[in-house]
Amino acid sequence: MASVSIPARTEYLRHGLVSWLATVDHKRIGIMYLASTFVFFLLSGLMALVIRLQLTAPGLQIVNQDLYNQLFTMHGTGMIFLFTIPCLVGFANYFLPLQIGARDVAFPRLNALSLWLLIFAGVVMEGGFLLGILGLLPGGASNAAWTAYVPLSNKQFSPQIGMDIWLLGVVLLGISSTLGAVNFLVTAYTMRAQGMTIWRIPMFVWAMIVTAAMVLIATPVLTAALAMLIADRNFATQFFNTANARLWQHMFWFYSHPAVYIMILPAMGIVSEILPVFARKPLFGLKAVVVSTILIGVLGFTTWVHHMFVSGVDPIVERFFMLTTMIIAVPTGVKMFNWLFTMLGGSLNLKTPLLMCLGFLSTFVIGGLTGVIQALIPLDMQLHNTYWVVAHFHYVLFGGSVFGIFAGFYYWLPKITGRLLDDKLGKLHFALMWVGFNLTFFPMHFLGLMGMPRRIATYTADRGWELGNLIATIGAFMVAVSVLIFMVNFVRSLRHGARAGNDPWEGNTLEWTVTSPPPEHNFDTLPTVESERPARDLRLAASNPTVPAH
Amino acid sequence: MSAWTKVGAARSADASPARRPNVGLIGAVFFIVSESMFFLGLFLAYFYLRALSKTWPPPDTPPLSTVLPTLNTGVLLISTLFMAWAERGIARGDARRLQIGTGVAAVLGLIFLTIQAFEIADLGFAPHSSAYGSAFFFLMGFHVVRVFGGVVFMVIILARALIGQFSARRRAAVQACALYWYFLAGVWLVVFWVLYWLK
Ligand code: HEM
Ligand SMILES: [Cu+2]
Repeated sequence: MASVSIPARTEYLRHGLVSWLATVDHKRIGIMYLASTFVFFLLSGLMALVIRLQLTAPGLQIVNQDLYNQLFTMHGTGMIFLFTIPCLVGFANYFLPLQIGARDVAFPRLNALSLWLLIFAGVVMEGGFLLGILGLLPGGASNAAWTAYVPLSNKQFSPQIGMDIWLLGVVLLGISSTLGAVNFLVTAYTMRAQGMTIWRIPMFVWAMIVTAAMVLIATPVLTAALAMLIADRNFATQFFNTANARLWQHMFWFYSHPAVYIMILPAMGIVSEILPVFARKPLFGLKAVVVSTILIGVLGFTTWVHHMFVSGVDPIVERFFMLTTMIIAVPTGVKMFNWLFTMLGGSLNLKTPLLMCLGFLSTFVIGGLTGVIQALIPLDMQLHNTYWVVAHFHYVLFGGSVFGIFAGFYYWLPKITGRLLDDKLGKLHFALMWVGFNLTFFPMHFLGLMGMPRRIATYTADRGWELGNLIATIGAFMVAVSVLIFMVNFVRSLRHGARAGNDPWEGNTLEWTVTSPPPEHNFDTLPTVESERPARDLRLAASNPTVPAH
Repeated sequence: MSAWTKVGAARSADASPARRPNVGLIGAVFFIVSESMFFLGLFLAYFYLRALSKTWPPPDTPPLSTVLPTLNTGVLLISTLFMAWAERGIARGDARRLQIGTGVAAVLGLIFLTIQAFEIADLGFAPHSSAYGSAFFFLMGFHVVRVFGGVVFMVIILARALIGQFSARRRAAVQACALYWYFLAGVWLVVFWVLYWLK
C-alpha cells in the first residue's frame, strides 16, 4: 500500500461510456452524483441570474410575470431537490464507504437505482421547465413556487400539465433519496472496519447517519402528500379543498423543515472533518458534536409549524412551535463553539478548504440568528413573505450548505481525481464568492424590512428598494464569476494540477490511506481502526517506526 | 448503543457468515420504517380531514358493512400464522415446511386481495365523493397495493425455496419477507379499526 502509483489521467476517465452506465461501484456512482447535481446547480444558478437581472431596477421587462414565476419555482426546486440534497449524497456515496473502511455500500445495485432515478427525475423536471418556458406545454411549466401550496397548485388555479410533471419529479426524487437513506444506514451499521466503535466513527459519517434517518422518516410523508395532490388534480379526490388547504402546509413542512437539516447536517459534517485537519488538532469535544448532531436530527421534527404563523393555526400551538424553534438553536450553537475551539490555538493551514469552512461559519451564523428572530411570532407576522425570509434562507442554504459543499470539493476532489486544485485560484474563488454572496443577500434583509414581498416580478420606483436590488444583482454576478473560476480551476487541475499523492492534507480518516484515486476495491486488506484518527496513527507509525502504531 | 459497538467488532473478515449481521434483513427493517411513515402520513391526513368535517362520514354515505373486512382480517391473520410456521421451519432446516407455509400464506394473500376488490367495488361511494371518500380509498388502496407487493415477494421466496436456495443458515430473505408480511397485517388491523370501527 505504500507504493504511490498514479495513472497520468485518472483511471476512471479511460473506461467506456457503457461501463459508466452499468457501474455499481460506489465511487463512480458518487462521481456521477456530483457531476449531475453540479449541472443542476449551474441551471438553477442561471435562473437566479435572470431573476436578479429582472429585479435590478424598477419596472424592467426582461422576463414577464408568467416567466418570472416559472423561473423562481424551478430555481428553488432545482437548488434544493436537484442540487443541495443529492450533491451531499454524492459525497456520501464516494466517501462514506472509504471512511468506514468498506469496499462498497451494502446494496450497490440499489445505489445505482437511486442515482438513475435522480437523473431521470432531473431530466423530467428540467425538461418540463424548458418545454414550459418555450411555450411547448399548454399553460407553461409549474409556477406555484417550490412550496406548491394549495389551492394555488390545484387543478383550478394551476391547470397546466407542467404542474403534474413537477409533482411527478418530486415523487421520483423522494423515492431515490429514501432508497439511498436505507443504503447508507445499513452500510454504516454493518460494514464498519474492525475497531470502529461509535466514538471512532468519522464526523461526516455521523452526519450522514442522522441525515439518512431523517430522510427515512420525513420523505414518505411528503410522498403521501404529493400522491394526494396528484390524485386531487387528476382523479378529482377532495383532500385539499380550499377549506383543508392547511393540511398541505402541515405535510409539506413536516418534510421540508427537516429537509433544511438534511441539507445542512452533511455540510456540517464536512466542516467537522476539515477543521481538525487544517488546524492540526483533534476535533474539540467530539462527543458533543455527535450528540448535538443527533439532537438536531430529533428536534428538527418538532418545529415545522414556524412556517405557518400566518396560516391561522391555534395560537397555543404556535407558541409551542416558537419555543421548539428557539430550542433547536442550542445544539447548533454548541457546534459553533466546538468548531471555534477546534481552531483556537491550532496552527492554521490557510488553504482553500479551510477558507470555505470559515465562509460557512461566518455566513451560517447569520442565517441561524435571523432564524431565531423569525421564530418570534409577532416579528414573523411582519417578516413573513418578505425579502427578509429570502435573505435568511439563502444565508442558511447558500452560506451554509453551499460553502460546505465547496469546502468538500476542495478537500476531496484531489482524492477523486488524483490532482490538487490550484490554491491561488481557489482563494480567488472563495473571496469573490464570499463578497458576492454577502452583497447579494445582506441587502435583502433591509429590503424585507422595507416591505418588499418575495416572488414579485417587478416593483415601482417610489419604494426606496432600488439601491438594495442593484447591489444584490451585482453581487449575484460576482458569485457567478467565482463559480466560473472554480470550473476553470477544476478543468485545469485534471491536466496540470500537482499530484495529490495519497494524503495531501495530512488527513485523519481512512480515505487518505489509499491512493488517489483509490483502487476499484478501495482497500487491499480491510483496515483495522484503533482511534478516531486512523490515518494519522498510520502516518505517525510510518514516520517513527520504533514506536508502535498507537 | 452497545449493538453498534458489537457490530463493529464482529465485522472482522474472519467472522463466520452466520454471525455476521445480514444486510438484507437490516435493510428490510429500515424500509419498513419508511413504509410506516408513509401510512402515518395517510392516517394523519385522515384524522385531520375528519376533525375538520362537521359530519363524518357525510350524511348521504351508505353505511359500511363489516362482514367482508372482518372475514378478511381472519384471512390475513391466518396467513401470517402460516408465514411464521414456514419461517420457524426453515430456521430448523425444514425446507418442506417453508415451501408449504409460504405457498399457503401467498394463496391466503391472494384471497385477501380478491375479497378486498369486492369490498371496494361495493362501498357505494367513490374517492371523489367527498374528503371522506378520498381518505378512505387512499388508506384501503395503498394497503392493497402493498399487500400485492407482499404476495409477489412471497412468490419469489416460494420459487427460491422450491429450487432449494434456503437453509437454516441462509434464510435472511425469508425473514425479511415474513417481517414485511407481519407489518402489512399490523397496518391492516389499524386501517380496519380506523375505517370501520372508530366512532
Ligand atoms: C447566486 C446564487 C443565488 C441567487 C442570486 C439567488 C437568488 C434568489 C432570489 C432573488 C430569490 C427570490 C425570488 C423571488 O422570491 O421572487 C430566490 C429564491 C429561492 N432560492 Fe435562490 N439564489 C441563489 C442561490 C440559491 C441556492 C444555493 C439555494 C439553495 C440551496 C437557493 C434556494 C432558493 C429557494 C428555495 C428560493 C425560493 C423559491 C420560491 O419562492 O419558491 N438559492 N433566489
Ligand atoms: Cu423551518
